[in-house]
Amino acid sequence: MRPDDRKYLETHEWAKVSGDTALIGLTDFAIHELCSGNEGDLVYCDLPETGRTLEVGETFGEIESVKAVADLNSPVEGEVIEVNEAIEDHLEILSSDPWEQGWMIKVKLTQKSVDHLIDAEAYESMLAEQS
Amino acid sequence: MAETGAESTLARPWRRITTWEAPPGFNMGLDEALLECEESPPTLRLYTWNPQTLSLGYFQRFADVPAAEHAESVVRRITGGGAIHHANELTFSLTTSANDPLYRGPIADSYRRVHSAVARALGELGVEADLRGKAAVESDREGTGMCFHASTALDLVWDRRKGVGSAQRRRRGRVLHHGSIKLGTTPLEGDIATVGERTGRSQVRELADALERALAQTQGMRFAAGVPTPAERALAHERGTRFIDPAFLRRR
Repeated sequence: MRPDDRKYLETHEWAKVSGDTALIGLTDFAIHELCSGNEGDLVYCDLPETGRTLEVGETFGEIESVKAVADLNSPVEGEVIEVNEAIEDHLEILSSDPWEQGWMIKVKLTQKSVDHLIDAEAYESMLAEQS
Repeated sequence: MAETGAESTLARPWRRITTWEAPPGFNMGLDEALLECEESPPTLRLYTWNPQTLSLGYFQRFADVPAAEHAESVVRRITGGGAIHHANELTFSLTTSANDPLYRGPIADSYRRVHSAVARALGELGVEADLRGKAAVESDREGTGMCFHASTALDLVWDRRKGVGSAQRRRRGRVLHHGSIKLGTTPLEGDIATVGERTGRSQVRELADALERALAQTQGMRFAAGVPTPAERALAHERGTRFIDPAFLRRR
C-alpha cells in the first residue's frame, strides 16, 4: 500500500498537504516505469523556478530516462516556494526514496481543497486496473 | 524474436499519415500535435525530411553535439535521447493512449513490442536484426552526442552495430514513440548499421510498407490512410515554429 498521508493524481504525482503548503513528488510506480528499477537510467529532471504559479494539471517539469521523457503535472493550485535542489545532482533519490527525500517542489496553496485528487486506495485500484 | 499481442488482440483501427520530404518544423510540430490532441485517433506516421536535418534530443545541449554545427538544418525533438541525422532513413512515430495494448505496462515492454514489429519489417527486406541485450556493439562511441553511437539493451542491432534509433515522450496518459531506421549512413553518423549496406536495397517506401505490415501482423493493428485534421494542422504549425527557433535550439 502506498502512503495514505497524501493524495494522488492519475498521472502519478503525489501531494502531501501540511497547513497551507504541499510537497509534490512522483510515485514509485512512475519512477519504476521510467527506469525499470535501474536508477542509472534516469538522466535528467527539469524543475521550475520558485515564484511560478501552477494550476491543477499544469506541467511544472519534465523528467528524462534513457527510455522516455515524461511530463510532471501539478496536483495542486498555488505558488512554487521551494525546489528540491538535491535532485538535479542526485537523481537516484527519486528511486531510493520517492516519498520523503524525493519530493520535487513545495507549493503554497491558493486552493486548499485537494478533493479532486484520489486517495492511496483509489490509486492502487487504478494501477491494478492498468496492469 | 518473440512476437507479442497479435494472436490475442482483435485488430484495432489506426490511422496512417504518410508525409515524404516534409520540413523539420512540420515533422516535429505534427508529432507533438498528435500527442497533445486527446481526440486524435491512434496514428502511425511514416515520414522523411527535406532538407536533411539533425534533430537534438529534448534535453541535449547544442554544444554537446559537434555534428550540429555541420548540419544543413537542425531541429529539437520532443522526445529525449541523442541526436539523429535524418537523411537516408525512414522515420516513424506511433502515437496513442498509454492504455493501448502497444504501450500498456512497463516502458521496456512497449519498446519490445515496437521493436518486434521493426525487426519483422527488416527481416522482410533481408536484415536479421536483434535486440542488443548484453552484446558489445562497434558503433558505440563517446563524445558525439549521437543516438546511434549510444546503445542500450533494448536497441535493435545487426552487423554488430546499432541500426534503429528510438525514443518516447509520455504526456497526460498519451505516448509518442519515435523511431528512425537507417537505409544508409552519412558522414555525420559514420559507421552504423544500415539496410542498404546489408541488402543493397534502399527504397524508403518499401521499408515503410513492410513496417506497416509488420505492425499489423505483430500488434493487431488495422491501418487506414488518413491526413491530419484541421485542428491537428493548426497545432502542428504553432508547435513546429518552436522546434526550429534558434533560441529553443540553443536553450541549453
